[in-house]
Amino acid sequence: MKIKRLSALFISMIVVLATVLTACAPAAAPTSAPTSAPATEAPKPTEAPTQAPTEAPTQAAAPVTIQYWHTHSDPETAQLDKVIAAFEAANPGIKIAPTRYAYNDYKTALLTAISSGAVPDVARLDIAWVSEFADQDALIQLDGTMPNFDTIIKDTFPGPLSTNVWKGHYYGLPLDTNTQVLLWNKADFDAAGITTPPTTMEEFATDACKLSDKAKQQYGYAEGGTYFWAPAPVFYAMGGKVTDPDITTATGYVNGPDSVAAFTMLKDLYDKGCLSPNLLGGGIATDAGHAQGNYAMIIDGPWMVDIYKNNYPDFKVNFAPIPTGPQGTTSSVVGGEDVVVLAGTKNQDAAMKWAAYLLSPEAQKMMAEVGQMPTLASLTGDPAMPPYFAVFQEQLKTAQARVPHPKWGDMDNAINNAYQRILKGDQTPQQALDQAADEINALLK
Amino acid sequence: MNRKAQQDFGTFLRLLILILGLGFVLIPIWYMVITSFKPQTMIFELPPRLWPQTWTLKNYIVALGKDSFDLYFLNSAKVAIASTLLTVLIASMLAFVFARLRFPGKEAVFYIFLLGMMVPPVMLIIPQFLVAKWLSLFNHWGLILVYTTMNISMQTFLLRGVFENVPRDLEEAALIDGGGPWTIFWRIVLPLSGPGLSVVIINTFLYSWEEFAWANVAIKNASQRTLPIGIALFQSEHLTEWGQVFAASLVALVPVVIIFIIFQRHFVQGISTTGLKG
Amino acid sequence: MLLAHNKLKRTFQMWAAKHRPHQSQRTMYTKRRSDLLPALIFLLPGLVLFALFFLGPMLYSLRISFFQWKIVHPDQSVFVGFRNYQHALSDPIFRRAVLNTLVYTVITVIVKLFLGLGVALLLNQRLPGRTFFRVAYYLPVITSWVIVSLLFEYMFNGQAGLVNYALNNVLHIIPKDILWFADPILTLVPIILLDIWKGIGWAAIIFLAGLQAIPAELYEAARVDGANFAEQLRYITWPLLGPTTVFLVVVLIIGGLNAYVPFQLMTHGGDPMDLTHSVLTLMYEATFGRLDFGYGAAISYLLTLFVFLVSLVELRLMRQQAGAA
Repeated sequence: MKIKRLSALFISMIVVLATVLTACAPAAAPTSAPTSAPATEAPKPTEAPTQAPTEAPTQAAAPVTIQYWHTHSDPETAQLDKVIAAFEAANPGIKIAPTRYAYNDYKTALLTAISSGAVPDVARLDIAWVSEFADQDALIQLDGTMPNFDTIIKDTFPGPLSTNVWKGHYYGLPLDTNTQVLLWNKADFDAAGITTPPTTMEEFATDACKLSDKAKQQYGYAEGGTYFWAPAPVFYAMGGKVTDPDITTATGYVNGPDSVAAFTMLKDLYDKGCLSPNLLGGGIATDAGHAQGNYAMIIDGPWMVDIYKNNYPDFKVNFAPIPTGPQGTTSSVVGGEDVVVLAGTKNQDAAMKWAAYLLSPEAQKMMAEVGQMPTLASLTGDPAMPPYFAVFQEQLKTAQARVPHPKWGDMDNAINNAYQRILKGDQTPQQALDQAADEINALLK
Repeated sequence: MNRKAQQDFGTFLRLLILILGLGFVLIPIWYMVITSFKPQTMIFELPPRLWPQTWTLKNYIVALGKDSFDLYFLNSAKVAIASTLLTVLIASMLAFVFARLRFPGKEAVFYIFLLGMMVPPVMLIIPQFLVAKWLSLFNHWGLILVYTTMNISMQTFLLRGVFENVPRDLEEAALIDGGGPWTIFWRIVLPLSGPGLSVVIINTFLYSWEEFAWANVAIKNASQRTLPIGIALFQSEHLTEWGQVFAASLVALVPVVIIFIIFQRHFVQGISTTGLKG
Repeated sequence: MLLAHNKLKRTFQMWAAKHRPHQSQRTMYTKRRSDLLPALIFLLPGLVLFALFFLGPMLYSLRISFFQWKIVHPDQSVFVGFRNYQHALSDPIFRRAVLNTLVYTVITVIVKLFLGLGVALLLNQRLPGRTFFRVAYYLPVITSWVIVSLLFEYMFNGQAGLVNYALNNVLHIIPKDILWFADPILTLVPIILLDIWKGIGWAAIIFLAGLQAIPAELYEAARVDGANFAEQLRYITWPLLGPTTVFLVVVLIIGGLNAYVPFQLMTHGGDPMDLTHSVLTLMYEATFGRLDFGYGAAISYLLTLFVFLVSLVELRLMRQQAGAA
């Protein structure tokens, strides 16, 4: 019937329309898609990562604007504006347009932008994301393309720097770093008759139990959860490793004797009631518990200074280095952010200039004032640094980065689950870590 | 006399149940309110207290005082109002088609629209971003059009049921007088659908007012941000001023409450009864 | 009593017959067999918007599910056919997520329907302070998920929360504090309670709107015939709320299956041990956490397929029932 055909046509029109739109919606190849940056100069073509270093920057006829994305807090953003002003004064012709994103949803915004080619020029990334993004070809290789790259990295801490490596090349620069150290509650220690914080892991274990009193809901030590970041300092200090240095296997590393010893110690503390059960989920948070006296010792980062200033102004926080492991050395885990230049930027030279500037001593000192710990080793002990930085910067000399690999998230998960199984008694530490080793090996293939 | 006593007792019983239920409903709200008046130190004190020891207005002063708060508030208002109007218009036109018109394949088309409720929105963000980029819609229009699209399915479904319930007697009369479909739609069906339209208005306004995921990726210009993004920015990586977040969120509730109070007036029995008696 | 009951039924049926939507409507607006032209005009704006911002994107992301997708160079994506789907269906974490989501959906939908109807009935009558009560019961609906998830986490804190305090120290129902969030099954309790708390008001408002379509005359006639409240409910309210109930059941089930926010905020991505995922938190983690867009898309479309089938069944079933009434 004519009407039936008409409506069949009608319905197929909808389907065709939709399909056409799908086909037309550009499958974004970043080099051809325009960025959303206003007033840019004539675009320079960006090429494959193994290009030779570019030459002297072209003279721009119109000012170049660099889009810089970040997740700085309010005070940090205000300070960033000053850094930008200083850079723009020294580099007429380049303007920096920063955009602040909400921390929890930043990755989604970045990935959405990358998928469509509407990328920013420069971005501040969590260190764990660099290898992921590099693996997807979203970042520009910096060694060999950025002027003075080798000079810049000579001064950075090795731990933070190593987070930028993927397949033998560097895809970012360490922007700010942090690590975790021991926090000890003096009041609790005094009450238990202990005068100084533990310096070895043995002391740490005994102190933790001396400081525990289950009836009063007091524990000598508490961790924030079972994700790897929480036990990592203890793990690394006891000599634990996740993989071999070349990241080819986890066998013999994550389930090696030192790693097993670390988790055995933690399990032991848990069973004896010296490690708070909150780490399994939903208990008193470590920051609150520490200040209130429930947790005599926690391991955490430099941000605790601001947190306590705001939430517990009467509480005096005490820092100490992570106790040394059986080999007599201390260690901890590296955190922080890296700065990267995104593939698809139309202003590679200007972008790299900005990224390099963020690693200059002036910029790093300015950001240090708002709590951003510099990645430049030469600034350790610099009088311009806030005093509480000292213990962290000292710890950074021995802190290790977690595995810089795109599948790190899943590896973290494997160790996380192993830790859960250990604490719940489902497996012995050796068994649990053997399973984790297998799971991690599967990811490394 | 007996009847009135019965009615009064019924009312009393209903009030009692409502008040008891209110306790369950309002405890978390109560917490929200008192937390917004607590100084930062006591926000998550354990064990919790139902009545704070110290009160402060600081959270409100700081949160509302941040330069952009009123800007974000206005942006959200603008987007929410526009999305609501557009959605009501389009959804009611669509619902009218399904409720009153007849053509082959009608139900199939209806199900295609229902699909809009069945795909998780987060899956669509990236291709929607591509469309917005293609049309240069990284601004409030981008928000309005996407919000409307995401609401069309549910609101059309709702309004179809509402329109189908509108009695046809009046329409037959109007048709005899020579009215066409648009007249029926605009002058008869819509006015008699007060409660249904009120629900659509309340729902759409609420959705647009508090939507976050799309606004987060589609708005790059800080001056165009909407309120939920503004509030999310109170949270930073390590330290969140929860008192301010609570204060700002409570203030953000006010417009929706106002819209609700205005439109719930339509939920009064008798307004949409038949135009004819008996 | 039986006499009154039958009379009531007849009154209702006579009224309903006058107002039932015509099953096979004759066209009203055109002289031809179908209203295609006016339909097209009314459909056009919505259709364009829908095609542009929904259908197109949907087909695009559906296509992604058949690839191992590369985000920067999509043309380099590898076609893998149904492998993403097979992977999901055979993944125990996915299956557990499905189980969690189903349990959550069934419980929350049933409770919200019953309590929502109850509240709507209460709020429908003339009462002192009715507007206040309506606003109060609707408030949970408009609160921010982030804030109330935080509050519920706080209330269910394993070491010092309000709920444990009430259950243990006050009511003495449990022997010692429960670590709610440490247990993969107990974690669902605060999540379910949160959704119910937040959703009753929403269902109530929809029911309330639906109740307005029931004319007062019917209740009057019923009262005259001697029917009590329960009978009025059964013979007048329930049948005439048909379309509203259908709508709510479909929408609530879809909402439940698509649960993301409360799960994400309270389990932080499936803790402990990936046992507390919902289907969408898993999808989110795959897509934005592990950058495996193809797999995330496959999970989404498995969910969509399931939702579609369930909705189809519901709609058919309930329309049949409404027709038979």
